Amino acid sequence: MIELINLTKKFGNLTAVDNINLKIEKGSIFGFLGPNGAGKTTTIKMMVGLLKPTSGRVIIGGNDISTHPQEVKRMVGFIPDRSYIYEKLTGREFLQFVAGLYGIPKNGCDGKIKQLFQLFSLEGWEDELIESFSHGMRQRLVLSSALIHDPEVIIVDEPVVGLDPKGARLVKTVFKNLSKQGVTFFISTHVLEVAEELCDQIAIIQNGRVIASGSKEDLQKRVNSKDKRLETLFLQLTEKEGLRSPVTELDI
Amino acid sequence: MNNFLLLLYPRLQSFKHRARSSITKEAIKPAILSFIGIIFWSGIFFIFYRVLAYFQGIEILGDFLAAKLLSMVFLVFFSILIFSNIITSLSTYFLSDDLQLIFSFPVSLGEIFLTKMVETTFNSSWMVLLFGLPIFLAYGIIYHAPLIFYGLCFVVFIPFLIIASCIGVFISMILVNFFPARRTRDILFLLSILFIVFLYLLFRFLKPETLVNPENFANLIDYFTALKTFSSPLLPSFWATEALFPFLHSNQEKDIGFYILMLWSTGLSLLVIGNWLASRIYFNGWSKSQESRKLRLSRSSFFNHTIDIITRPFSPSTRVIIEKELKTFFRDTTQWSQLLLLLSLVIVYIYNFKVLPLEKSPIPSFYLQNLFSFLNLGLAGFVLSAIAVRFVFPAVSVEGQAFWLIKTSPLSLKRFLWSKFWMSLIPLLILAQILTVVTNYLLKVTDFMMGLSMVTIFFMTFSITSLGIGMGAIYPRFKHGNTAEISSGFGGLMYMIYAIGLIALTIVLEARPVYILFMHQFRKLSIPMWFYLEITVAIFLILLINFAAIIFPIRYGLKHLDSMENIE
Repeated sequence: MIELINLTKKFGNLTAVDNINLKIEKGSIFGFLGPNGAGKTTTIKMMVGLLKPTSGRVIIGGNDISTHPQEVKRMVGFIPDRSYIYEKLTGREFLQFVAGLYGIPKNGCDGKIKQLFQLFSLEGWEDELIESFSHGMRQRLVLSSALIHDPEVIIVDEPVVGLDPKGARLVKTVFKNLSKQGVTFFISTHVLEVAEELCDQIAIIQNGRVIASGSKEDLQKRVNSKDKRLETLFLQLTEKEGLRSPVTELDI
Repeated sequence: MNNFLLLLYPRLQSFKHRARSSITKEAIKPAILSFIGIIFWSGIFFIFYRVLAYFQGIEILGDFLAAKLLSMVFLVFFSILIFSNIITSLSTYFLSDDLQLIFSFPVSLGEIFLTKMVETTFNSSWMVLLFGLPIFLAYGIIYHAPLIFYGLCFVVFIPFLIIASCIGVFISMILVNFFPARRTRDILFLLSILFIVFLYLLFRFLKPETLVNPENFANLIDYFTALKTFSSPLLPSFWATEALFPFLHSNQEKDIGFYILMLWSTGLSLLVIGNWLASRIYFNGWSKSQESRKLRLSRSSFFNHTIDIITRPFSPSTRVIIEKELKTFFRDTTQWSQLLLLLSLVIVYIYNFKVLPLEKSPIPSFYLQNLFSFLNLGLAGFVLSAIAVRFVFPAVSVEGQAFWLIKTSPLSLKRFLWSKFWMSLIPLLILAQILTVVTNYLLKVTDFMMGLSMVTIFFMTFSITSLGIGMGAIYPRFKHGNTAEISSGFGGLMYMIYAIGLIALTIVLEARPVYILFMHQFRKLSIPMWFYLEITVAIFLILLINFAAIIFPIRYGLKHLDSMENIE
């Protein structure tokens, strides 16, 4: 469903993403992990059309985003890590706006909007200006907007950032259910528990390169570890590739 | 004191880095801004120099008028500074992002108050100070003031700025304790616009041009007698005038020291009072400014219903963009309040044509009316550009940091920009035609000139709009505090330069054929054949330039938005 082929992004002399190759099957939840500044957000931005790759290709649902951006964007729902949205619209107007961008007429999305407000516990806030929403509510509204057009692929940058435990649990349940219905997820996160709980395939990126990918069991075999926890595997893999343990470094 | 300097450190360093990067990376930007600044600066100097030289030629009354003018300058500066300080301090003291961090540091409220006072005073006063200097320079040169006068200007100005800042900060501190900061800022923004509109209309309807007519001198004395009520000895603007003017008279026996002392003692004591006030109410106000009120909007108002009907013929994607634009426009006070400015500009513009004394001119009125109508084309184009820089140029930037939504949606950027173009064009086109027809009607021009003006302004509106959308996309400013900020940047300035250039080029191309036509009509000569060739070439060139101005800015804007690496 998603294919990244020799994907590279350079900012001047800095190579933020270095020749990445990944293949993600339909209906799977793919976790994209890595330390800060590893190139996760840059990769995601290239996948959703916010950045142009220096070289390489992003293919989603058989379409290359460079040559067929509209077709790709029509089947993708994107949830960024920071929820900048139109403050002067109400929650309902915002969802109607996003639906319109995907070509859904105003009267064709009322039922879906009601359903999403219920699902993400935003009932009663439909006609309030977004400027009065809390950070978590905005994040839930952005999640709703990514689902309004029934996307086949959902790309998420930090899915639970700013959400309370109840909100985080809700998001994980929604993702699992949608994945069962065949929706493919590409999730970038720092929160290893989220990846551990949700993802069936994982890739770890460091300094712009994918240093390991596969199922959790594959990663375990790779580092030859008995500890099954993703946190241990992640630290072992990233340390092996040159990032020293912060605890050792600080001598704590 | 140590903490005070430490708290200022990030601002000073950011300023230094910004200045350094603008010199090394974008050398053209500061060069153009400095050039335009110098033109304005010289313009102010020239106007004051001429006015003061004229006053000096009037016996007895001359010095009185010069002193009156100086006191008016100080009074206007004082009111502008207080207003600007209230609005700036709402941002620096209550809404600035760094406050969360600063309040978590072990620094006293007094130290925060003083640091923010320096920031507020600098942000709100540098422009007044910079553009006030040519006024004082003009006074100094005309009155052959000694060198000490220039030094004294700074001695007077510093406490003058501190007093205005303190008053502005006190007002905002008190207001924020009663109302939410964001709402207060919006309301004050609206009030300041109303204030400017009021001053502007008042000034225009006072007909200052009649003052140059010697027959009205009796009225002038009445006028200044009336103004005397404004110069109360309790106002810092009065002290500043009294401290400076004796230097211009070589009449230094007046107690200059007293007024300077008044300024400094008031300024410094206000700082002490401010420190005390801050320890009492600042934190409470800041804490309140974090709260946001739940606002309930009417669920199906007449406005929403009207928008629904207007946008029905469009495709869903174009429709939602138009709806969003209209709704956000009318819900954002900083946006629609600018309509008031626009309205006053248009009223004064039309009023000027109404009071033109054409019949008094020795030149035949037929010739003059048509000449004015032609010049009016340029002026109308300028008014349209001034409106477009406020409303069309920001069309892309108003998406703000939510622009990611547009970029990741299947809506093409080309369609997005053209939707913005059509949406801006229609109201501008209506306004342009109304302006042209009404002013030409007041001028009683010929049918030919009326037709020519309408057709020219029609094409110019297309190119002015496209230039606005295109340049707004080339110089987007997605990170902005309010929409009024967008057009005040470098991109807005470049837009005005291009728009004026385009209007000038169109007018110049039309000028020669129109002049020949009028001269032939005036002298009752038959129109030669070559004239038709010349007018065809002129029309062709005008169409070509305007067509290029419609196509290329949007094309370049599209290219720029498409390749933009960072929208946050």
